[in-house]
Amino acid sequence: MHLDLETRTRKDYIREQKSLHGRKVMGVFPAQYPRELLLAMNILPVEIWDPPLRTREASAHLQSYICSVVSLGLELILQGKCSDLDAFLFPHTCDSIQNLASIVNDYLGIHKPCYFFYHPKAPYKRASRPYYISQLKELKSGLEKQFGELRETDLKRSVDRWEEIRKDISKCYLLRSEGRLNTSNRAFYSILRRVEYLHPDDFHPLLTNFLQSGRTETERQGHGVLLSGVLPNPPEVLDHLDAIGVRVVDDDLLSCSRRFLSGPVSNSDPYEAMAETYFSLPPCSTRGSAIEERLNHILKKIRSSRADGVIFLIVKFCEPEFFDVPILADSLKKEGIPVLVLENEINQALSGQIVTRIEAFAEMLG
Amino acid sequence: MSIAPEIRYRFMKDIGAPLVMGMAGLKGKRKAAIKRDIPLGPPLKCSKRLKEIMTRHYFLSRYAEGARPVAWVTSGAPVELLRAFDFYTVYPENHGALCGAQKLGPELCSIAEGHGYNQDLCSYARIDIGVCLSGKTPVGRLPRPDILFASNNICQTVMYWYRVLAHHWKIPLMVFDTPFNFVSLDRSAITYMVRQFEEMIPELERISGRKFSEKKFKEVLRLGKSSAMAWGEVLATMKTVPSPMTIFDAFVHLAPIVSLRGLPVTLEYYNVLLSELKDRVSKGIGAIVNERKRLMWDNIAIWYKIRDFSRLFAERGMNFVTATYTNAWAETISYMDERNPMESLAKAYSLVILNNNLDHRLKLMERLIKEYQVDGLVIHSARSCKPYSVGQYDLKRLLMERLAVPSVVIEADITDFRAYSEEQTTTRLEAFFENIEDGG
Ligand code: SF4
Ligand code: SF4
Repeated sequence: MHLDLETRTRKDYIREQKSLHGRKVMGVFPAQYPRELLLAMNILPVEIWDPPLRTREASAHLQSYICSVVSLGLELILQGKCSDLDAFLFPHTCDSIQNLASIVNDYLGIHKPCYFFYHPKAPYKRASRPYYISQLKELKSGLEKQFGELRETDLKRSVDRWEEIRKDISKCYLLRSEGRLNTSNRAFYSILRRVEYLHPDDFHPLLTNFLQSGRTETERQGHGVLLSGVLPNPPEVLDHLDAIGVRVVDDDLLSCSRRFLSGPVSNSDPYEAMAETYFSLPPCSTRGSAIEERLNHILKKIRSSRADGVIFLIVKFCEPEFFDVPILADSLKKEGIPVLVLENEINQALSGQIVTRIEAFAEMLG
Repeated sequence: MSIAPEIRYRFMKDIGAPLVMGMAGLKGKRKAAIKRDIPLGPPLKCSKRLKEIMTRHYFLSRYAEGARPVAWVTSGAPVELLRAFDFYTVYPENHGALCGAQKLGPELCSIAEGHGYNQDLCSYARIDIGVCLSGKTPVGRLPRPDILFASNNICQTVMYWYRVLAHHWKIPLMVFDTPFNFVSLDRSAITYMVRQFEEMIPELERISGRKFSEKKFKEVLRLGKSSAMAWGEVLATMKTVPSPMTIFDAFVHLAPIVSLRGLPVTLEYYNVLLSELKDRVSKGIGAIVNERKRLMWDNIAIWYKIRDFSRLFAERGMNFVTATYTNAWAETISYMDERNPMESLAKAYSLVILNNNLDHRLKLMERLIKEYQVDGLVIHSARSCKPYSVGQYDLKRLLMERLAVPSVVIEADITDFRAYSEEQTTTRLEAFFENIEDGG
């Protein structure tokens, strides 16, 4: 199973999902959305974070000061690489994604249904939760028009399933932070990021297998860092950390722990359960959390994972992250924690300068 | 509130401010007498009064601290609610524009940059953070806020920016979260917004130490609505050929509706401005001497270029007669209804241009182009402002396809002139001038 998935391209996988399982496929832009709902309707969410492309046609639509997550996402559409997708979903993550959604829906004339998902922003109020639930229900009714009726039992099953997967993701994080997961930085994220397009039938076994085979009782060697920012891209950063023996022991990445590590769900109503998941997610710049809250969260992670330093891997032009970083970095430094802030474009090759900075940072870790 | 700041504030309001206003007016008079731009028509007499009002506002703000609850507010936030509690409000975006017009953008931005704020962030935010960190401002001093009041109906950026302020000042941040209108405004979003208002009231009572008065709130709503409608009428005078005002005037005369919305002075001011404009219309007085072409501006002003641009275009007989930006404070005001205050406030504030989908923007621009008999469009691609700028390239294309309106994109920034290239802009504008003279 593992090897097979390794060698298959995302495109082949999507086609197979459609032909073998009769699934519909939805292209989903970053970041937070109710995947349980889509999966319950037999819709496979395929997330669009960092397609391996170069910007060519998107520059006719987007200014040069827009982040590469957005420009590459648009590039994917413009290069006709989304023909297998049945629809798009745009969560309301930031100004750039918001306007991208509107460009795609209103201006491009691509004739593919677009759905939108607005999640309430913090500071949360009493009104936030009922509104979140109403948004879930509205998304559901919108999707039903295209994809057929959703049965509550299917939704319940899907919510429970995702809860199981999240528990296993949490286990991976915990073992890694305790140094009891024998894996490289690259392998960890390569497995975790399969959640962005694999169906739970394929992802969950992959994850549990990874968890079981990687478990070790040997103590962690070398230094550990916490990785913050948007997503673990360029992956060469992970490779380089592997090469110099620095282990990512935890993260505060938007595409990873900030979406997955919510608290346990206690509610039996699937909509309430999904709301419980959303409102217990870790603090996040795109959801409006106070900087203090995020700082405390990062500090807690640093303590529990015994990280020696923090690397912020920020996508160029990412406003939500760039506003938080100065206070976070400054406060961490005041606590005596070494901090490295790297600014990069998605899929950008590692420059000599970045390599040198990573190495100099690693030396600072003691 | 202790008694000494209260007495000082009252003294400054009744004695100090009128003195300062008089001086501001005098300065303006002298300047106006010296500077007389040939391609431009006679300057608006009202400008003197505007200067007095804004000088008084910033002057008094220094004494508001301790005497009145002080709020720093985003330009699109429903300030009417705060007015009901007698908050003194300061608008960092308006202050940023003022700094930009005085060409102080890069200097203040670089203070924030020195503290790690990236040069690609919105320059209003960088200026403001620079001001907070250094205390530097051309208005003397800004009062320390008791509360921050933000709405994401203009951008998400203000949320990130105000979080930084909340951390810096260690004060509460109150957010009015307005779901983006991807397709249409639905009932659940309205309910969500109304409930937020209801939750804000006890919080505002606690912070201000004043009781909510529905009567006062409705009075503010009435005033706010009347001022915005008067502002709308002011803009509508520019439908006349020749237009009695240019959009560069409007950018400046916008300040009261942004910063003093819901106060009697704003309504009074726009009524005076409106009668001056009507008088000009009746006498056929245009804002530029020879109006041959009528243009539309898209996006926020390039504050440090207002003077240069107004001359540059006027020399060619081109007058800007409408802008999506100035229109924003009049566009949704018809929703405001004091009989249903909370719901109407929610609609008026969440349906503004920047919280609305791009199809809405395209239709709005089409309507303005027709109503104002626009011959060409200048699109400011503002590096600071992603919600305003992302989508402009397609807008340009679509407006050309649908209405055959020639347009040009200027890559610049609202206040940070390090992101402005004179050479590139001149080349683009020259091509645009040729294009428009050839009839598109
Ligand atoms: S990288 Fe930042 S700016 Fe770009 S889409 Fe993600 S959150 Fe938005
Ligand atoms: S300029 Fe744009 S990004 Fe900056 S505060 Fe105004 S609306 Fe927001």
